Amino acid sequence: MSQRTLPKTDVVIVGGGWTGLTAAYELANAGQRCVVLERGRHRHTATSFAGPEEHDELKYALRYTHMQDVKKETLTFRNNRDQQALPMRRLGSFLPGSGLGGAGIHWNGQIWRPLPSDLEMRSHYEDRYGSQFISDDLTIQDWGVTYDELEPHLDFFERICGAAGYAGNLNGETRAGGNPFEGSRTADYPNPAMKQPISNTLFGKAAEKLGYNPFPMPSANVTQAYENPYGAQLHPCTYCGFCERFGCGYYAKADPIICVYDRIKDHENFEIRFEAQVLQVEKSADGKTATGVTYLDENGVEVFQPADTVCLNAYALWNVHLMLVSGLGTPYDPETRTGTVGRNYSYQTIAAVDAFFDDSITTNPFMGAGALGVVVDDFNGDNFDHSELGFLGGGYIACKQYHGRPISYQPVPEGTPRWGAEWKRAVRENYNRHADLVIHGSSVSTHENYLDLDPTWTDAYGRPLLRMTFNFPDNDRKMSDYVMNRAVEIAREMDNVTSVKSVNLAAEGNDYSVVPYQTTHNVGGAVIGTDPATSVVNRYGQMWDHHNVFVFGACLFPQNLGYNPTGPLMGLAYWTLDHMKNDYLSNPRPLMDA
Amino acid sequence: MTQRRFAKTTGIAATLGAIIAVPFMGWAQNQETQPAIAALEANLTDERALFNATVDATVDDDLLELGQLVAMGGAENGGSGMACITCHGANGTGDGSGAFPRLAGQAGWYTYKQLVDYASGARPNQVMSGIAQRLTEREMEAVAAYYAAIDAPYRPIPGEADVSLLQWGGQLGAVGSAEKGIPACVNCHGPSGMGNPPSVPYLAGQYANYMTYQLQLWREGGRDNDAMNVMSAIASKMTDEDMRAVSEYYARVRPVVDVVETVPASIDTPEITE
Repeated sequence: MSQRTLPKTDVVIVGGGWTGLTAAYELANAGQRCVVLERGRHRHTATSFAGPEEHDELKYALRYTHMQDVKKETLTFRNNRDQQALPMRRLGSFLPGSGLGGAGIHWNGQIWRPLPSDLEMRSHYEDRYGSQFISDDLTIQDWGVTYDELEPHLDFFERICGAAGYAGNLNGETRAGGNPFEGSRTADYPNPAMKQPISNTLFGKAAEKLGYNPFPMPSANVTQAYENPYGAQLHPCTYCGFCERFGCGYYAKADPIICVYDRIKDHENFEIRFEAQVLQVEKSADGKTATGVTYLDENGVEVFQPADTVCLNAYALWNVHLMLVSGLGTPYDPETRTGTVGRNYSYQTIAAVDAFFDDSITTNPFMGAGALGVVVDDFNGDNFDHSELGFLGGGYIACKQYHGRPISYQPVPEGTPRWGAEWKRAVRENYNRHADLVIHGSSVSTHENYLDLDPTWTDAYGRPLLRMTFNFPDNDRKMSDYVMNRAVEIAREMDNVTSVKSVNLAAEGNDYSVVPYQTTHNVGGAVIGTDPATSVVNRYGQMWDHHNVFVFGACLFPQNLGYNPTGPLMGLAYWTLDHMKNDYLSNPRPLMDA
Repeated sequence: MTQRRFAKTTGIAATLGAIIAVPFMGWAQNQETQPAIAALEANLTDERALFNATVDATVDDDLLELGQLVAMGGAENGGSGMACITCHGANGTGDGSGAFPRLAGQAGWYTYKQLVDYASGARPNQVMSGIAQRLTEREMEAVAAYYAAIDAPYRPIPGEADVSLLQWGGQLGAVGSAEKGIPACVNCHGPSGMGNPPSVPYLAGQYANYMTYQLQLWREGGRDNDAMNVMSAIASKMTDEDMRAVSEYYARVRPVVDVVETVPASIDTPEITE
């Protein structure tokens, strides 16, 4: 029982990151009294993220000062159902945030849109390759919302961020120099693309020579002084090389604090409470609606906040956890393959290629930015013929220059010893002669990769931990290998390259491990769709089982894209908010029939 | 290729000795504050000067000699028309009024780029444009290297400033303003405003009137010659009082240089006995 019950509010929002603050902005301006509950502390871009202090690689990149505390909340992990899952006691493979702005503070700022075919994945592959093409192991499905429906919302989020790029498809017209595979845009990027360094330029030239279509990576590292639609003023990026794992005190990397929070914090309908750890969503007696949430306040007092509408805006994994501990929806059971909460969890497949230049090329890697890259999308999604390949999906190949930090950036060619004088010599010789290619691959969903509650371990608040059961699907291993080899070919084609090495983290025989950092792009577990048997929320982000609970974030993705998720998930957020404001709130009810 | 490291050689030392013997004093207007070439040579190990060596020319004794010559008004095209030292002083400390910025120890590449921008009109200035246009590329490099290598004392700070104004300036400098969306100066200008060579100038010890005027120029669009036009975006969020506050604050800050002297030579290391 809660020690205190507060007066009822219109909307309670769990989490103060990109989606939570945006929901508060839009709903508060639509006349709803909003309370945001953020488990972390207040912090601000101006006062908390300024160099030179922020440029402390050890503190922020290696000791994870902006990330969540796994001593309080974590998950258990295992590769398959035959294993005993064990708690993840240190951060590693992925880095969820904590505090105002959430992980939106320490992102790189790569701001993508999904391909139109990504959003209709199952029907697209069946249409193109026949109904037998998709293996029975795979649970990939359509999103239930199309690219054309999301387009205005994807566009709006790019304006919120002051995205920098060059449109490859403007109102249906393909433009040279942009991504020819992207869906049609109604407007170009609000800001011009970033200036590219030499390694990325040489990559682009080589890709072009091989007949591919290189373009500048879309970036939320802003390239000129810019005012967003909410009135936030962003400054040009200085290419300092401290994006991922760091906040940006330059006002140059779009983040939820400067882009959204500052523009809503003084609104009479807005309130945010920090160090408010949400424990559970409460349900009505009939179980059909939520009545509010119970949380621990900053003094450790258990408080009940009643609300007409509950928005779940935590990180993908913790949204699913909150549903499971609250009894929202039906948990997925891999034995019977029924239930939906925890179903279709998927990750991402990452491979890397390093190219080393002769001494006529000087790369100056310390001049970088999180989304400073040249990309080819020729092997992403279904942009290439899959009929003879034995897999579906793909990934983008990017040459990036995002940092040259002393502890983490020590590229050395194949055959270099891992320590000692030879290694040091190799670092000295190659620091300034290196091109960094990544293959950022999609991930299919399967029956056996899922999330549920751990029967053994509990968190600091006595709740069962979330349990992750995951290994790389064979489909993704093959896909990653195939796309990586295309990247190796491009690297070998680059001018002045003397050697190339590659690593596929999802290679055949490599079990997924939560220890080495790979990507923070965990998705699924509470997926969007049009069938209540295979989705937790309907196509508007509304829970099938509890119509006043709306769900945001990458937990909605039925399978993972070959892109970074922030752009797509914010497109979905604006789509959901649009339907809340214009349809639901005036007449609360299920927006789709189950 | 450019030379990145300045190597001390006996040859240079010998040449420097010869330079000192050259009777250039006749041209200098301010002989007392004229730094000796030997002192400049020692300062070349400072990265503020070293970075200048990556422009196009090696920083060597010839360049420094030329720099000194340019500073005193002598140059290939019959001189710049006005000697640097007339306004900025032979040791680069200006006259203390704040009309002329301190140049001593400023990042060499930064000063060089300002000269290039004065000459091209990218940084419009009635006095400096004409001067810079009459300098050759190498003369710009030389005089920038010359001033970068000088380690000059600070002049007394003219006038008084309100304590709360200084406090506000210090706050803006260190943490910026979340309310106004002003990023902290230290983000780019380094801890205590000591600069971030090669491209970001120091603020510590610069004259308040000069800095206030530059901020106003950035806000009004009279100056936009930084690489990304970052300063305009920042200055447009600042009031006159904010500008005065940071300028008065940084005028009073002294950069901490050479703080790490772990084992002073004068201290005997105690013997450790069994």
